[in-house]
Amino acid sequence: MDLLNKLKPSSREASLGIILLIAVGVTGLINPRFLTGDGTRDLLTSTSVVALLAIGITPVVVMRHIDLSIASTVGLTAWLIADICAKNPDFTWVHCFIIGPIVGALVGVLNGLLVAGLRLPSLVVTLGTLYIVRGLVYVISNSVDYNSQEMPPSLIEDLGQRVYFGLLPFTFSLVIIFMVLIAYYMKYAKSGRDAYAIGSNPPAADLVGLKVFRRTFLAFVFSGTMAGLAAVFYLMRFAQVDSTAFYGQELAVVAACVIGGVSIFGGTGTVVGAVIGALLVQTIQGGLAALGVDAFWKAAINGLLLIIAIYADRVLAVRSEKRLLQQRIRERI
Amino acid sequence: MSIFPKAVQVRKSWDTAIIGLLLVVIVMASTTTEGFLTSLNFSYIFSNTSEIMIIAFAMLFMIILGEIDLSVASILALSSSMLGWSYAKGAPIWLAIIICLVVGTVCGFLNGFFVTKLGLGSLAVTIGTLALYRGIANGILGENTVNEFPEFWTSFGFDTFGTTFMPKTLPMIIFFGIIFGLLLHRTPFGRRTLAIGQSAEAAKFAGINVVRHKMIVFTFTGFMSGVAGMVYTFRFSTAQADNGVGIELLVISAILLGGVSIFGGIGTIWGVVAGVLLAGSVESWLTLQEINAQWRTIVTGILLLISVAGPVLVAKSKQRRERKALKS
Repeated sequence: MDLLNKLKPSSREASLGIILLIAVGVTGLINPRFLTGDGTRDLLTSTSVVALLAIGITPVVVMRHIDLSIASTVGLTAWLIADICAKNPDFTWVHCFIIGPIVGALVGVLNGLLVAGLRLPSLVVTLGTLYIVRGLVYVISNSVDYNSQEMPPSLIEDLGQRVYFGLLPFTFSLVIIFMVLIAYYMKYAKSGRDAYAIGSNPPAADLVGLKVFRRTFLAFVFSGTMAGLAAVFYLMRFAQVDSTAFYGQELAVVAACVIGGVSIFGGTGTVVGAVIGALLVQTIQGGLAALGVDAFWKAAINGLLLIIAIYADRVLAVRSEKRLLQQRIRERI
Repeated sequence: MSIFPKAVQVRKSWDTAIIGLLLVVIVMASTTTEGFLTSLNFSYIFSNTSEIMIIAFAMLFMIILGEIDLSVASILALSSSMLGWSYAKGAPIWLAIIICLVVGTVCGFLNGFFVTKLGLGSLAVTIGTLALYRGIANGILGENTVNEFPEFWTSFGFDTFGTTFMPKTLPMIIFFGIIFGLLLHRTPFGRRTLAIGQSAEAAKFAGINVVRHKMIVFTFTGFMSGVAGMVYTFRFSTAQADNGVGIELLVISAILLGGVSIFGGIGTIWGVVAGVLLAGSVESWLTLQEINAQWRTIVTGILLLISVAGPVLVAKSKQRRERKALKS
């Protein structure tokens, strides 16, 4: 019994993992190809952009904020990278991996200054920057598109097609590395723990002297940087970009986080959960496609999944609150 | 010392500032741009902002309550799709319109149910229903569009009265404006809305049925989104699943521009009307100046940021001045 209780805190990720395995199994039963190396590789490739973005916004969401501008940032960064590479044919993948995060970080700095510096609500601020950044893509792109011929072959053909062990694409291996690093950081580093403290009770965090400004600011810069990196992944996957790239996908990322147990009210959730959430959404989509459900219903199913996840989150929260209350009563007695 | 709390004073000045800004924009646009100060252009401004205005009347209550509904544009699309779908399936137009309004109301009720009865956060839930409702519209209509509607109704959506600048939808909008204005500023319901927005906990202890109140507001926001769906359908004479994508953000930015606090508890109907018209006038000005349509996305974003940063900065500078005055 003691052991069970000790395991409980991390049981959210564990139960999500089990749900994911069940979903994968069921999908595999419907469509056996899903369980092969090719199927796994497709799943991981198509999840890696959303998974990386979910890792990026997890610290922000844990701090009880939100970043809706990430999808626009992906669009802007992807177009800029393609544009710069088209004008400098000798650029390689290294340049892409440098330009992307820098552009993304700049958007993050803007968000961070407005949210942390002026203490404005992040929802409204990032809605505003969502518009502004997307508008910038429209204006500077001038309806110019780029496709694989104009992009560095070392990025598209070499890295983009690289697969380890027959099933792990290069992009998802980076996702795993980031996931492990950030999970470790948020669990064990003091500044990582601060994120949970700030998200659980922002005024209290301020009163005990946590560096709320610095942490919040850096969380937004991190989220922007990850969006810039996700733009490189986007190019590697689609090998083409126009001004509407990744339009409206911010909610898919938020959905992945929430389904993965990162509460929108702050204070709980891990990047591991967020990545599992992203994989789960993709797997269920794949399963429904295998069942022959029309692609037009995709958005509706995403929405339904999100509502179910929020509800589950709420039920779990109420339950643990009750348990804590009972525990406190017992201790008093 | 004044009898008002500080926040109210700042807001009051923000309200008037927006109305002043609206006048300044209109004067500047009229003097710099030919064709701005014409009845035709004003009819465009009114009809281009009609759906936003209709939804904003209800969303005003929502934001004052401290809740938010991001699914309004999807409700618009779903009710518009249902209107088109049922009409194309042979329903008479009056029945199709009733279906459209009922669908809107039910969607709003569902949002309210999730938020109040299940206790879920409105931001998260309506992100979910945003995807859900538009997804259902997508599932029903797919890539089809319905664009055959009776002429009487398309003329209601598009034409003006005779040669005047008044779009035929304007009396309806004014009617709703008066109803919601009176509801907010002259009835116990409105006072309760403001009270809940200031402090839901205190309102509850004062005997206000917060759950029922929120339920009502969510439901009529759905209804108004249905009305907007109907207007949108007839104005463009099309019912399709991607009708009105992104309108929720325009509605919210117009409301915040009108001095309604995103933190709840503060807001006026005339501020919202001025906010919507300000956004509409700026857009019309940019169009007449032949400024690239793409710039408008940026302007919308900047307006949104100004509308939320403005009151905060005003309040901060006021505090600083008061502190200085205290020191000296």
